[in-house]
Formats: sequence, structure tokens, C-alpha cells
Amino acid sequence: MTYIENIFVCIAAPLLVAALCMGKRYARAFFFCFAGMAACLLSAYINTFFAQVYNADMINATTQIAPVVEEIMKLLPLLFYLLVFEPKPEKINISVLILAAGFATFENICYLTQNGAANLPFLLIRGFGTGAMHIVCGAIAGYGLAYVWQREWLKIAGTAGLLGAAVTFHAIYNLLIAYGGTAQYIAYALPILTITAGIGAGKLLKIKYLR
Amino acid sequence: MIELIDNTLQFVITLIAGIGAGVLYYKGRKQAYFLLSCFLGTFSLGTLYWTLHVLLFSHSPQIFYVSELAWIASSLFLLTLEYTLSTPEERRFKHPAVWLVPIVCIPQLILYLAHGDILFNLLICGLTMAAAWYSVRGLLYARRQSGKPRDMQYFHIVVLCIIALEYCLWTASCFWVSDTLTNPYFAFDFLLTAAMFALLPTTRKAVAA
Repeated sequence: MTYIENIFVCIAAPLLVAALCMGKRYARAFFFCFAGMAACLLSAYINTFFAQVYNADMINATTQIAPVVEEIMKLLPLLFYLLVFEPKPEKINISVLILAAGFATFENICYLTQNGAANLPFLLIRGFGTGAMHIVCGAIAGYGLAYVWQREWLKIAGTAGLLGAAVTFHAIYNLLIAYGGTAQYIAYALPILTITAGIGAGKLLKIKYLR
Repeated sequence: MIELIDNTLQFVITLIAGIGAGVLYYKGRKQAYFLLSCFLGTFSLGTLYWTLHVLLFSHSPQIFYVSELAWIASSLFLLTLEYTLSTPEERRFKHPAVWLVPIVCIPQLILYLAHGDILFNLLICGLTMAAAWYSVRGLLYARRQSGKPRDMQYFHIVVLCIIALEYCLWTASCFWVSDTLTNPYFAFDFLLTAAMFALLPTTRKAVAA
């Protein structure tokens, strides 16, 4: 049994002290870091709940339930930020990326406590794979929302579309990992390749909000 | 095997049409192409996950809403596209024939609720019914116009075809016959793929109108 709420307290405590010392200027960054870790913590509980309700095995829970729950949980703090504070587009991008990084870091820490840290090459691959996957999903939501929320006519459909895209990307990644073999290594390479393609496309098309 | 071929073909065709719509948006900066690209893109993403699941695990995903979420988003984009293409006069236009949409769709919805998931069916049928309502109204309005505005009818006909085929597809999936070509499900799905692709030229006509 992993006491993830204890891990959360242990990780969040020094960050909270640091946030109090650093003042208002960095409050947003710390808030999204905490929100990312809290979203990961709550996702674990909700995933377990739905897995029980649907009587899902490990593969079905990983490939079907987890992507939907995790992406929705990551989107909720962001929607709160968008609705309450109405931030500028550039602030949205940074906030989402910090949120996704917080989520990925907490997930990696939980993985390490469950599986140990002996196999460095695998952890390196997993770190860049899963970590980058959460960043890609965050980037899809962040850069997308920055574009979509400037246009009234696109807000509802756009937000649903971005959520759908992030969930599907996450689910395809988990699907390939769950299948194992060569598919697993394709999955690990997928986020890095997507980030590279995204940056390349942004430069090629000279899209302002991607810069 | 036939399910895999069907899904792969649908993914490839919708992706190509989505890229085509994206290129048209990049060239002309028309809102309608952007929405069409989003509609086809989200639909193809949902199909990609479904296809990969069938390919890797030999059965379709049956527990939670991954592809379904993408398809709901695509229906929302289609609805937004229809709203964007309609004129204020068209939105004010009233005709009793639009009531055929709930008369046809609600019994189908009851069938799906009896056979499948409640939340997803309520959402997707609600969205497709709204899209069909817009299409019937748009079609009747366009057929009363002359010249270029009359070309809008092709767009509405294709949207109606897509929705009708989706309903046929869902009904066929309630009474699954076999995993062979004798199952009408696959015939409807191949036709749906063709109708999805036909949305690209008809949207061009609608934008020009």
C-alpha cells in the first residue's frame, strides 16, 4: 500500500514554506505546482473508484479510465483560473505547463516509491516518456485554451475539443505502454517527437501564440 | 478484420479531409474551415484510439469514454460550424418540417438508452439532434434562395446524411449480426466515411455562397 497523501504532504510542505517566503510574485507558479500535484493525488482516488465501479482490470483502467480522469482533473484548476481571473494568453501557457510538470513529478515520485529506483536506464526512459507526455497534454490544453478563450464563438466547442485531444493522446500513450514490446518504446518516443513536431510547426507557420 | 479495415480507412480519410480543411483555413483564414478542420480532426483522433485498441487488443474499448469524448467534441464543432455558416435571416426562419427531427430521433434515443450507456447516448443524441434541426432548417431555407446562396443546400444535405448514417450505425450496433461484410453496420460506416469526406467540397461551396 502506498500512502500517497503522506507523500503529497511531504513534497508540498517545503514548497509551501518556499512560496510563503518568496511572496506574491511567484504565488501563481507555486499555486499551479500544488494544483498539479493535488490533481494527481485526487486522480488516483477517482481512478480507483471508477475501476471498482466498472470492475475494470489493470489494462482497462490504465488505457480507458486513467486518461479521462487525469486530463479532466488537470483541466479543472485551469478552468477555475480562466473563469475567475481571466488571464492573458501568455500567462495561461506557463500556468498549464507548471501544472502538468507538478502532476508528472508527483506521479513519478509515487511510481518510485512503489517500484524502487534501482533501474536508472528504465527510469530515464520513463521519466522523459511519461513526464513529456503530461507536458504534451498540458501544452495541447494550454496553447489551445489561450487561442480558444479569445474567441467567444469557440469557447465551448474548443474546450471540449482540447479535452478530447488531450485525453486521446494520453490514452494512445497508455495503450501502447500497456501492450508492451516494441509498442512501448514507440510510446516513450511519441511525446518527445510530438514536442519537436509542435515546435517545428509553430516556427514554420509562425503562429504567434505558439512562440 | 473487416472492423479494422473499416476503422483504418475512416481514420485515414477523415485525417486527410481534416488536413485539407486546415490548409484551406491557412490560405483563406475563414472561420468555417477552421471549425471543419477541428470537427474532422477530433473525429479522426477518436477513431485512431478506437482502431489502435481493436488492433492491439482485438476488441473495441467498452469500459470508459475515450473515443466518445473526442466524438462528442467533434459533434460540438459541427454544431458550431452550422451556426457560423447560417445567416441571421436563416436563424429566424421557421418551418414545421424541423419537428421531424425529434420525431425520428427520440425513439432511436430510447432504443440506445435501452441498449447502451445513458450519459454518452444522451449527450451525442442531443448534439446530433440539434445539428439535424439546424440542417433541416438550413436546407429548407437554402432551397428558397436563388443564385449562390442556394449552394448552401449541398452542405446541409451532407450534414443530414452524416447524422442519418450515424443513427443507422448506432441502430445496427444494437443488433450486432457478425464481424463480416453481411453486417449492415460496416456498409453504414463506409458510407459515413464517404459523407465525412464530402463535407470538405460542400463546405467550400457553402463558404463561397
